[in-house]
Amino acid sequence: MKKKILIGLGIGSLLFMLLGAYIIVTVERATLRLDQLVKLHQVEILRGHLLLQIKRVQTDLAWSGTRYANGVDTIVSHGIQMGKVIDRCFRCHHSPQVMEGLVDLKSQTEKYEDFLSHVLTLDANRARREAEKDEAIQRGQDLIATVNGIIALTSRHLESSTQAVFRQIAITKTMLFLLIAMGLLILMTLGFFFIRALTSPMNILLTATRRLKGGALDHRVEGLKDEFGELATSFNEMAGSLKEQMQKMRRTEQMVVVGELAAGLGHEVMNPLAGIKAAMNLLSEELALNKEDRDLFSQIVEQVVRLEALMKAFLNFAKPPKPHWERVSINGVLATTIDFYLVSHRPSSQVFGGIDIRKSMDDGIPRTMADPIQLQQVFLNLFLNADDAMPNGGALAVRTLYDASADSIRIDIKDTGTGIDPEILGRIFSPFLTTKPKGTGLGLAICKQIIEQHDGSIRAENDPAGGALFYIVLPVKRGEEEVRAA
Amino acid sequence: MKKLLLAFSFCVVLVIGCDKLETPAPLQPPPEKALLIGLLPEHNIFKQVRRYEPLADYLAKKTGVPVRLKALTYRGNVIENFQFLKLDGAFFGSFSYVLAHAKLGVVVLARPEHPDGISSCHGVIFVRKDSGIHTVRQMRGKRLALVARATTTGYLFPSIFLKRAGVRNPETFFKEIYYAGSHEETIDDVLDRKADVGASKNTVYNRFAAEDPRIGRDLVILGKSDDVPENALALRQDIEDSVKRKLVDALIAMHADPEGAKVLQAFGARRFIGSTDADYRPVMTYTRELGIDLADFKFPTEE
Repeated sequence: MKKKILIGLGIGSLLFMLLGAYIIVTVERATLRLDQLVKLHQVEILRGHLLLQIKRVQTDLAWSGTRYANGVDTIVSHGIQMGKVIDRCFRCHHSPQVMEGLVDLKSQTEKYEDFLSHVLTLDANRARREAEKDEAIQRGQDLIATVNGIIALTSRHLESSTQAVFRQIAITKTMLFLLIAMGLLILMTLGFFFIRALTSPMNILLTATRRLKGGALDHRVEGLKDEFGELATSFNEMAGSLKEQMQKMRRTEQMVVVGELAAGLGHEVMNPLAGIKAAMNLLSEELALNKEDRDLFSQIVEQVVRLEALMKAFLNFAKPPKPHWERVSINGVLATTIDFYLVSHRPSSQVFGGIDIRKSMDDGIPRTMADPIQLQQVFLNLFLNADDAMPNGGALAVRTLYDASADSIRIDIKDTGTGIDPEILGRIFSPFLTTKPKGTGLGLAICKQIIEQHDGSIRAENDPAGGALFYIVLPVKRGEEEVRAA
Repeated sequence: MKKLLLAFSFCVVLVIGCDKLETPAPLQPPPEKALLIGLLPEHNIFKQVRRYEPLADYLAKKTGVPVRLKALTYRGNVIENFQFLKLDGAFFGSFSYVLAHAKLGVVVLARPEHPDGISSCHGVIFVRKDSGIHTVRQMRGKRLALVARATTTGYLFPSIFLKRAGVRNPETFFKEIYYAGSHEETIDDVLDRKADVGASKNTVYNRFAAEDPRIGRDLVILGKSDDVPENALALRQDIEDSVKRKLVDALIAMHADPEGAKVLQAFGARRFIGSTDADYRPVMTYTRELGIDLADFKFPTEE
């Protein structure tokens, strides 16, 4: 979004600059054209002035030799004025063609001056004087005709130039209006898209927040991009976390209820069961029973024992004991558990082929604060499950690994057994879920409970090559003394 | 706020100051009366004025005396024209100066020296090469263009030339005699076949020959006069000596001044030199030979 805003601002600035530059250039051009027009008008005025000067000299010439004639000095002054006006024409910049015409005009004027001077200074008979005067007047008329021609040409040029300039100005004006309108339109369009690009994701996020507030914890924000996309991802993560926390809270509440129930039920059920078991043992010893009845009594006692074990496990799950924290070596706990498993729980598969236990321990694992008894309970539970899954023998691989970047310990326990039914894989850690005929369905649930008490995580999956795979991740917890030393 | 107060105070001072300005200023000395200088045409009268204008401006600047030029023609009585126009002086030709000196008492001050170091001129008589005129005798019945009766090269010399050739009465010898009014005009008229014989001074003739190749190609000079001074500046006798002195000093020194040198270059002279009546002896010789009484000299219109 930031990039889009920058691009938008850049486009807007560029448009503004282009429009400004065009306006400046256009105004400059229009001013130049008007300036040229003014100069043309000045030229026209100058030509008119020249014509007046020539006519004045012609009048002087016509009156010369009469009683109304101006003095020679006055006529000379008028002639010099006429020459000065022509000289002024040369001060302006002209095209070579016009300059050629001006040079011709100046030459013609100088010739006229020659004739004029001749008439003014000549002292001869009347016929010669008249002839000279007539020729001078004729030269003057020719000069007037030339200047008139130039004036007519200038006027035509001026007219066409004026029309051209007005047309150009009209076009420029229209172009300016169009450009300003277009600029406004483009800016408004850009503004509309930017506002929409801002408000649309905001509305989606606002709606999602409201839905979340209404309890729709599964609602997720999709389809947003850029910074809003990142915000949506954070929002979705927050929603997921919220859901998880809600589930945990609900479960904790349930567990509290179950615990209280279990505690009450335990007292209510365990005592009669103890009585039943004691009574049944006494009766089986005192009564003379045949073999069939004795077996029946044994089965009753066995079921009572089983009920007691179930009740104990249920009580353990419902009201787990608090961990006793101490600095332990995970590799050590695992080794102890494996030894205990091999000694105390003779693997059932030994009869057929035995379990091949393969250990791969990371020696770099640091010690961590944990309850070794509870961890042994978890590991042993997993070993026993693996043992049950490999009735015909197999391999049990145990591996530990230290992740320095996350400062955590990973424990992988893999067997080559039948694997986990995909239908129950997603809820394998749920309580009372069992595939064993005599199982309580609480083993893995307790394992998960213990690992989470250690702020770790546990997950299960099937190995594509066969067998089940359990991953446990435990964060390294250092004791207060260790932290202080560090 | 401080700036506003300062601006207000400044305005108040200005207003008070304006009252003081209304008090009459001390009278400035009136501008010196302009010297009116006449120009007798050597060539086209307009060119003549334009040629002398920078010189007049320069003199006005250097002397502090305004100088105004007046076009003066030889037409009629040049001396009366001088008086009628109330001129203070003029650039006179040699004979017109001699006449003005005799009739009005004007005093010559200075004259230009040409770039070749010569400050005099002489008269020439010329015809077209294709006119078939080679001698004075062949001029009989032709048209003669003179400059003006008040010129040495354009009147005195041709008269002497004809007289020495045995022409007793030019008026009957020639079909027509007229006065073109300037040296340039006589040359033009002969070139343009408006006249058959012409007279002018050599400096104008040579200058035009340099500009117009027809002169060297089509004209031929049949006679030339003695040297006489070039057109010189002369002032009325009653003009203050201080003014005369200023003008002479400015003219004589102008070639040493960069600004003056420029003006001189445009004028076509190297420098100005002093001139005296003694320089006009050849003119006096001519007038005596022709029997002219300067005090009683008649101009064409008076005859």
